[in-house]
Amino acid sequence: MTTCQDPIADGTLLDYWARDLADDDEVNRVEEHLFVCGDCSARLHAMASLGAGLSTLVRQGRVAGIVSRALLNRMQRDGLHVRLYTLTPGETVPCSVFPGDDLVVAALRADFSAVQSVSLSVRGPGDSPFSRIDNLPVSRPDGELFWAMPAAAARQMPSMRLELTLASADAVRAELGKYVLEHTASTPPA
Amino acid sequence: MHTFVDSSDGDLARAVTARGAPRTGEAESELYRRFAPRIRLYGLRYLRNEDAALDLVQQVMLVTIEKLRRGAVRDVDQIASFVLGVSRTMVKDQKRLEWRREKLRETFMLPDTVAAPAGDAALDVDRLEQCLARLADRERIVVLLTFYAERTAGDVAKELGIKEGNVRVIRHRAVERLRMCMTSGEAAQS
Repeated sequence: MTTCQDPIADGTLLDYWARDLADDDEVNRVEEHLFVCGDCSARLHAMASLGAGLSTLVRQGRVAGIVSRALLNRMQRDGLHVRLYTLTPGETVPCSVFPGDDLVVAALRADFSAVQSVSLSVRGPGDSPFSRIDNLPVSRPDGELFWAMPAAAARQMPSMRLELTLASADAVRAELGKYVLEHTASTPPA
Repeated sequence: MHTFVDSSDGDLARAVTARGAPRTGEAESELYRRFAPRIRLYGLRYLRNEDAALDLVQQVMLVTIEKLRRGAVRDVDQIASFVLGVSRTMVKDQKRLEWRREKLRETFMLPDTVAAPAGDAALDVDRLEQCLARLADRERIVVLLTFYAERTAGDVAKELGIKEGNVRVIRHRAVERLRMCMTSGEAAQS
């Protein structure tokens, strides 16, 4: 077996896998090459394995940070148990994690109409930093921001108060909302 | 001693066609070893299901080897194109079948089952989880929407309110960072 003399670019392989190649001719050209070339086929295999691993993580609820509405919809369609707490600015919501939950998500509502991107700061007891997300673009003026935590991680947390602050990350920083999650530790099974 | 490992695809196909010749079985095994991973990837790309992709491998290789044995492949030097052609036909048939199954599911609300692809079981998902956590939030959402939710760059662009070209750039960078993290042991050290 020889090393490929004309390897398909990584970006093209990725576009092929994601069904983003511009036209059928391009798809055919890539497929013809993949079937004769072990090197490029192996590179695509590595990329596909990575993708399969990411899907496995999501299906096990092992995703933390900001997620999108489409991602949540797909998770729920796949049978993941997503515990969703919706908060409006100034609201305090009691929360916990229950048996069978895979993912805990806080849906933060705010007026995003005048902002391009936002930052989210989460602080725990004694104003200690818990999580911080900077410069995240927002797409919908009337939307929500979804902050996710694996249920397995939430189960390990003691009862605590989490303060979340959402602010615009544009040139002029403006607070969009403060929210409080009153977390009650889950009771271990008897 | 000559082994089929170094033979061209055409020579391999010729060896399978030469019925009664010594070591035909060896040539068939090498042909299978070489093409099975490529057919599986092709199946995953179109069917997005590991079991269906593995079924496709069996069916395509069966047809290919039978046709070669009967001398029914016109140009053995183009065996890769032949295998690709058979794969295309069979995927079309399977998609038609899947479409019918989907209609049945919609009608009778059969529960969906979700399983991790067995073919990628070797991937260290614990490490991948750490690597995923190291990505910027936007990168993480883009790769999850691409690989898990199976969204095209155009879909992701609409979802996140950014340009399609930007999605491709972010996706490419994120995959590269994941790949580097997985191979360098960066995550394991943290």
